[in-house]
Amino acid sequence: MTFHPRERRSSTSRSIPGVDRREFLRRSALAAFAVPSAGALLAACGSDGASNGTDSTAKVALSRPDRPVTLPIVGDPIADGLQPESGTLKIYNYADYLNPDTLTKFEEQYGVETEVTTFTTMDEAVKKLRSSGVEFDVFFPTTDRIGQLVAGGLLQPLNATYVDHLENFWPRLQDPFYDRGSRYTVPYTVFTTGIGYRSDKIEEPPDAYDDPYAIFWDTRYRGDVWVLDDDREILSMALVRQGEFDINTEDATLLDAALDDLLELLDAVNVKVGIEAYAKLPEGAAFVHQAWSGDLVNAQYYLPENGDVSTLGFWYPADGRGVIGSDTIAIPTAAKHPVLAHHFLNFLLSEEGALDNFSWLGYQPGLTSLDPDTLVADGYVPENLASAVVRETDLDVGVQILQLSTEGEKTWDNAYAKFLAGAQ
Amino acid sequence: MPGVLWLVALFLVPAYAVVALAAGGQDPVFGDATAEWRPWRWQFTTIGDALAGMMPGGDQWGPMGRTLAYVAIALAACFVIGYPVAYYVARYGGRRRGLLLALLLAPFWISYLMRMLAWVNLLQVDGYVNDLIDVMPGLGRVAWLDGRWTTVVMGLVYGYVPFLILPLYASLDRIDGRLLEASRDLGVGPVRTFVHVTMPLSRQGMLAAGVITALPMFGDYYTQNLLSASPRTSMIGNQIEFYLRQGSGNQYGSALVLVLSALLAVLMGYYLWSTDRAAKEVR
Repeated sequence: MTFHPRERRSSTSRSIPGVDRREFLRRSALAAFAVPSAGALLAACGSDGASNGTDSTAKVALSRPDRPVTLPIVGDPIADGLQPESGTLKIYNYADYLNPDTLTKFEEQYGVETEVTTFTTMDEAVKKLRSSGVEFDVFFPTTDRIGQLVAGGLLQPLNATYVDHLENFWPRLQDPFYDRGSRYTVPYTVFTTGIGYRSDKIEEPPDAYDDPYAIFWDTRYRGDVWVLDDDREILSMALVRQGEFDINTEDATLLDAALDDLLELLDAVNVKVGIEAYAKLPEGAAFVHQAWSGDLVNAQYYLPENGDVSTLGFWYPADGRGVIGSDTIAIPTAAKHPVLAHHFLNFLLSEEGALDNFSWLGYQPGLTSLDPDTLVADGYVPENLASAVVRETDLDVGVQILQLSTEGEKTWDNAYAKFLAGAQ
Repeated sequence: MPGVLWLVALFLVPAYAVVALAAGGQDPVFGDATAEWRPWRWQFTTIGDALAGMMPGGDQWGPMGRTLAYVAIALAACFVIGYPVAYYVARYGGRRRGLLLALLLAPFWISYLMRMLAWVNLLQVDGYVNDLIDVMPGLGRVAWLDGRWTTVVMGLVYGYVPFLILPLYASLDRIDGRLLEASRDLGVGPVRTFVHVTMPLSRQGMLAAGVITALPMFGDYYTQNLLSASPRTSMIGNQIEFYLRQGSGNQYGSALVLVLSALLAVLMGYYLWSTDRAAKEVR
């Protein structure tokens, strides 16, 4: 399965500005227990066997930018002009993927309560949504799972009249290839995958190399190089480095070639795997870390007391030909407060709501009004990290990690497992 | 009867669920493993793959071989550290025995992860451990966290050594002091008394302590994650964790769990057989 910036994020939690390091460590430790238990549960309980969707059509169309998918309308959207329900809006999301203050503002405006339930991986979330008796009003699916979720009857079609703030977002996100016409989803965040680094610890930035990705293999940084613990991300990096931009390929030969390059990382730098670039870089535990753009924006809050934000750097191909992704928000079929949920989506799409959320989240909403210059000028992003800001045109040239066939997924899993096994 | 109930609820049902997953099918829409509860429809190919993978030469052999080696070294170190401690508390604890036992149990009041995170801080290049090494002449700072296996083994030893001390203490404490006196009365020195009386009498305790300590080490993956994170030191638990968090890999992950459990069951079986035999000898 595809991973995603917030995958397993609860294993580290995040601190908000002002939370000290000790507090962060404490929270990390507490939250980390969620990880083994989730895995153990998956193993022990198994799935519910033939649950929703098993008997529906086996083939889910794999959406691609050049093969956009118009999802079939299953069920009826809510009627126009209804009053939002009262009560508690139940939100199902990654841990720390929504600004608590933004939620409070929504609660005050609508006179309702909100309740956030968190999941660790998208696989876990989809499993839970498939089990009966789960009634969430708002869900944050990744783009690669939307086809499955609709085929499984787990999402309800949206009524566009409630989410008019969608017009604030980039046109490419208003009519995305994974859900033409935004029938089931509205956009949430955008992010790129690049190279995070400590400019004070390395000799020269990635730009100084003929091949910037070569910095991962630079033996001078042995023991301090990290890559994302994510099959799709790390193998995609190796593919892109080889000039192979079809990062959704299922060709085992291409993957083996990428794997060979990655295995060289073991001898060259004794590479490490993790997903905490936002903490490892500011703490100095990593000098070079494959990272998501939003993590670098966040990293400024993890600097030690005497840390200097200008030591953080982020490289993403200047021509935009790198790995890029976006997230969405949707309403499950089983929602008990569908009208209120529509209002909530619209709230997060509004200029104020989206910006307020971003100021805490670090992951950027695809608002048309935002560009690198304004984000730096308004203090959302440090100047030296302007490269972590995503532009709309990046979506045209960047490549996205998308859903594979079941067989293809296994090919990727196994290739990555070989890397994780450390060869020898 | 309550024992049987516990066994069914806490062991047989979960174990059956793992088999059902490992020998089950795959969801056509969502792509993850689906449990097959009817044994006559089980397919054992994935389990066979996992077994083959864990043998020398297979895909899982790297982590598996590493796990065996790390556990063996860590266990030996645990004995070197743990036996004298258990011996001291049992023989010379005196009135402070309660306090000493409480201190031995104290680490359990803090979560394992928290203790490992503390080590991450201590072992940093500018951490306290290196500060200590640095003041000693001729020694320089060590990059403990650069992904070396010794740090992982150290973590395993630290994390699991209390599991070894407690059963060993219980066993040493039960040794009749009069036997030791008899040995001394017969003119045998303290070293030979230890080798010929104490050690043999604590053999069952050592076995129990060894099994109890080794079993959780085999499944450990977060010690490696926190103290190294390098694929060069990954253990079989890391592979299992990887496969179980990927929907499409659940089946293979469950199969790895099964094969590993079967392996450990052999270890456990030897322990049970040995205690059973020892009990008969006593009678």
